[in-house]
Amino acid sequence: MEITLTHYLLVGAITFCIGVYGVLVKRNAITLFMCVELMLNSVNLTFIAFSKYRVDLDGHVFAFFIMAVAAAEAAVGLALILHIFRHYRSLDVDRASELRL
Amino acid sequence: MVIWETIFFWLFSLGAVVASALVIWLRTPLYSAIALILDFFFFAGLYVLLSAHFMAIIQVLVYGGAIMVLFMFIIMLLNLREETSSIEFRVHHGLAALVSLSIFAFMATGIMALSDQAGIKEVRANMGDATQIATPSRIPGLYADLNEEGLQSKFDAKIQSFADGSATPADGKYRPFPGAKFDIPPMMKGGEVNGRPVESADFGTVEPMSLLLVNRFVVPFELTALLLLGAIIGAVIIAKKRL
Repeated sequence: MEITLTHYLLVGAITFCIGVYGVLVKRNAITLFMCVELMLNSVNLTFIAFSKYRVDLDGHVFAFFIMAVAAAEAAVGLALILHIFRHYRSLDVDRASELRL
Repeated sequence: MVIWETIFFWLFSLGAVVASALVIWLRTPLYSAIALILDFFFFAGLYVLLSAHFMAIIQVLVYGGAIMVLFMFIIMLLNLREETSSIEFRVHHGLAALVSLSIFAFMATGIMALSDQAGIKEVRANMGDATQIATPSRIPGLYADLNEEGLQSKFDAKIQSFADGSATPADGKYRPFPGAKFDIPPMMKGGEVNGRPVESADFGTVEPMSLLLVNRFVVPFELTALLLLGAIIGAVIIAKKRL
């Protein structure tokens, strides 16, 4: 059985939807963040799969930039989480429902 | 050779799906983080199968190394044992499952439509003049494609007009650096098998990637450095005790 582009796209879609479910269900800010990372990763997989089957490296470059943005987002987001935890003594995102501290 | 690709594809993809489900399933944030690291390794394996060697190594180094160490560090710093509170109402879980399943149904319909040869033929028969842009694809499992030759010839004509002076790059978005060649790395295509192009041996290794990053994508590449600098400064300022 030959593995085609469709297989890789379906794996990407399944993991993306698991990430969406986690973002909707989880109330812990850190776990929610991990689900966002999961979604970014499955998009990367889609980019790289298209890149191989088109014999074109542009998808790799896109995935590279997505990884750089994810690293920056993780750094700033975790600093925000630290601040929220200091203020509310909890990581529940429902408690941090106001913009002002 | 093909049998090994199949075996490893199923191993890595099932592992990736199970590990992603574990990230959601486990209630302790530390265990979720460990499941996510496992997930990133399975994704790196899939990247190797897609002959994206450079991206596989970057995946392990940046995601499995740097980002997840940051996550673990924060989890241990805050001493999180159990999830603080989860939504107790079943209706929320049901709604979330409904939303994510409908997104999956939407995407799977699109993906399966790409591999439905008869359906594509029917659409193309009803398209008329627009058939020009949708030509048979050379990718297995994918039957419709944009007319790459037409798009490429337009792009080549634009580059040629820059070269002979009939148009200046300043009319467009970017002015090329003097003497810089916006060349596509020549080592990407390694011939054809059964009428479709296959990648060369060093496709996805460091050399073609670096050539692309310092030629065509040099502006976003430098902007990435600026973004990371801004992220460092922002993280330090936000995490300080007193703003």
